[in-house]
Amino acid sequence: MTLKARRTFTAYMMLVPTLILVAVFTLYPILESFVISFFHWDMISPHKQFVGLQNYLQIFEDPLFHRAVINTLLFVILYVPIVMALGLAVALLLNARIRFRAFFRTAIFLPYVTSIAATGIIWQWIFNGQFGLLNDLLRQIGIQGPDWLNTPQDTMICLVTLSVWQSLGYVSVLFLAGLQNISREYYEAARVDGAHGWRLFRHVTWPLLSPTTFFVLLMSTIEAFKVFLPVYVLYGATDGPNDSGLTMLYYMFTEGFSDYRMGYASASAYILFVIILACTLLQMTLQRRVHYES
Amino acid sequence: MRKLLVYAALLVVTLFVLGPFIWMISTSLKPAGEVLSATPSLWPHPFEWSNYSTAWKSAPFGRYFLNSLLISGVETAFDLTFGAMAAYAFARLEFVGKRTLFLALLATLMVPGELLLIPNYITVAKLHWVSTYQGIIVPWLVSVFTIFLMRQFFLSMPSEIFEAAELDGLHPVRTLFQIVMPLTKPVWITAGLIKFIGSWNSFLWVVVVSNSQSLDTVPVGLMNFTSDVGTEYNQLMAAATFCMVPLAIVFLVGQRYFVEGIARSGIR
Repeated sequence: MTLKARRTFTAYMMLVPTLILVAVFTLYPILESFVISFFHWDMISPHKQFVGLQNYLQIFEDPLFHRAVINTLLFVILYVPIVMALGLAVALLLNARIRFRAFFRTAIFLPYVTSIAATGIIWQWIFNGQFGLLNDLLRQIGIQGPDWLNTPQDTMICLVTLSVWQSLGYVSVLFLAGLQNISREYYEAARVDGAHGWRLFRHVTWPLLSPTTFFVLLMSTIEAFKVFLPVYVLYGATDGPNDSGLTMLYYMFTEGFSDYRMGYASASAYILFVIILACTLLQMTLQRRVHYES
Repeated sequence: MRKLLVYAALLVVTLFVLGPFIWMISTSLKPAGEVLSATPSLWPHPFEWSNYSTAWKSAPFGRYFLNSLLISGVETAFDLTFGAMAAYAFARLEFVGKRTLFLALLATLMVPGELLLIPNYITVAKLHWVSTYQGIIVPWLVSVFTIFLMRQFFLSMPSEIFEAAELDGLHPVRTLFQIVMPLTKPVWITAGLIKFIGSWNSFLWVVVVSNSQSLDTVPVGLMNFTSDVGTEYNQLMAAATFCMVPLAIVFLVGQRYFVEGIARSGIR
C-alpha cells in the first residue's frame, strides 16, 4: 500500500461508525420518505400502493392543512420578531459593564435547558382561567382575563409566550457572543467622532452584528416553522380548541402516528421541508446582498 | 443612573424568566385547599411536603429516571467517542474524499429532524426495535454538531503535539484518546453536556417509538402523569420540580462550558 492509500484507510476506519449511522438514520430516510410520499401505505400491510402525486394533491385540498399552514405562518410572524427583539435587548443589557452578568445569563438561560414537558405543565397552570397566576395578576389591576387555553383566539398568544420564554436565553446568548466579537476599536473610533447612544447602535453595533442577526433569524425561523411541542404539552396532546393550535408538524404527526397514513404524512413532511429550504435559501440570498452593499 | 436602569430592566427580565419556576415551587408546597384559592399567595402555609412523596409514588418515576440516565448516558458516551474520532480525521488526517464527506455532513444539518421521524420509525419497525432501548437510542448515537465542535477545537491546537505522536508511530486512535483527549477536556465537557441535556429532554422520538411505560423517559413519563392526575396542580408542580431539578443542577455546574459551546455555534 502506498502512504496515501494507507492514510485514507486509517481515516476511514475512524469515520466508519459516523458514516454508517448518518447514512442509515439521516441520508437514507431523506430519500425513503420522498419515495413513500408517492404511495398509500398504512405501515401494517406488506403492500404499498403507488398513487403518484395523489397524496400531495389531497393535502393541498384539505381544509385542515390550510388551517395548519395559516396557524404555522401566524406563529412564525409573531414569534420570530418578538424573540429576536427581546433577545437582542437582553444581550445589549448583558453586554453593558455590569456585575452579576454570569448570574443573569444563567438565570435567563435556564428555561432553554429545562424539558418542555415540565415547563408546559407550569404554563398550563399559569394560563388556567380560574385559578391561574396570569389572571390573578390581571385581576389585581382590574382586568378580568379570559380562559386562555380554552379560547381559540388566545391560542397563538399562549404558544408564542411559552416559546419566547423558553428560547429567550438561547437567542440572547447568541447575540451576546456576536456583540462581544465586535472589536472595541470601532466603538472608540465612533465615539471620537461624537457618536453616542442610539447613533452608536445604529451605525456601529447594528451593521457589525449583522452576521449574527442573520444566523439567529435563520435559526429561529426554522425552529418556528417546526413548532409542535409547545402545542402538544400546553394542550395535553391535543391541537388546541377548534384546531387553533394545529401546526404543520402537528398535522404530519397526526396523519402519521394516529392514522398511520405514512405516504400522506411523508408528503406533508416534505412540503414542510421544502418551505423551510426555500426560507433558508431566501435568507441566505438576502444576507449576501446586504453584505455586498455595506 | 443609566446603570440603575440596566439593572432594573435585567431584574424585570429575570423575574419574567424565573417567575414561572418560583410559582411552580410555591404551588408544589401548598395544601390542596390553598391551590384553588381565589386570592393565591406566594408563601404556602402550612408547607405541604407530602405533595412530593405522593407525586413520586403515583407513577414509576424511579424507573423513568433510570431510563433517562441509561438512554442519555449511552448516547453521550457513543456520541463523544465516534464524534471525536470523526472530528480528528477531519481535522488532522489527509485522505481521499475528505472535502466531499465534510460538505455532505454539513448539509445534513440543514435537514429538520422531524422529516426523519416517519422513515426512521419505519426503519426501527423493520429491525423489530419498536419499544426497545435500541430503538430509542441507536438513531441518535452520533450528532454532527459534536463533530463540528470538536473539529474546530482540534484545528486550533498546535500541530507539534500531533506530529510528535505521529513520529513515535502511534496509531491516530491512540493519539486521540491518550494524548489529545487529556489536553482538550473543555471541548469534551462542552460537547458532552450539550448532547446529554439534549438527549435527556428529547421527547417526540420516545413518544413515537415506545409504546411501553417501562421504557418511558422522565419528560414522557411526566407528560403521561399530567393526563392521569388532571387538575391536582400541587402534585403536578411537585412532579415538575423533581423532574427538572437534577438536570438544572447538571446545567448550573457546567453552565460555563454549556453556554460558551452554544455561543460558539453562532460564530462560524
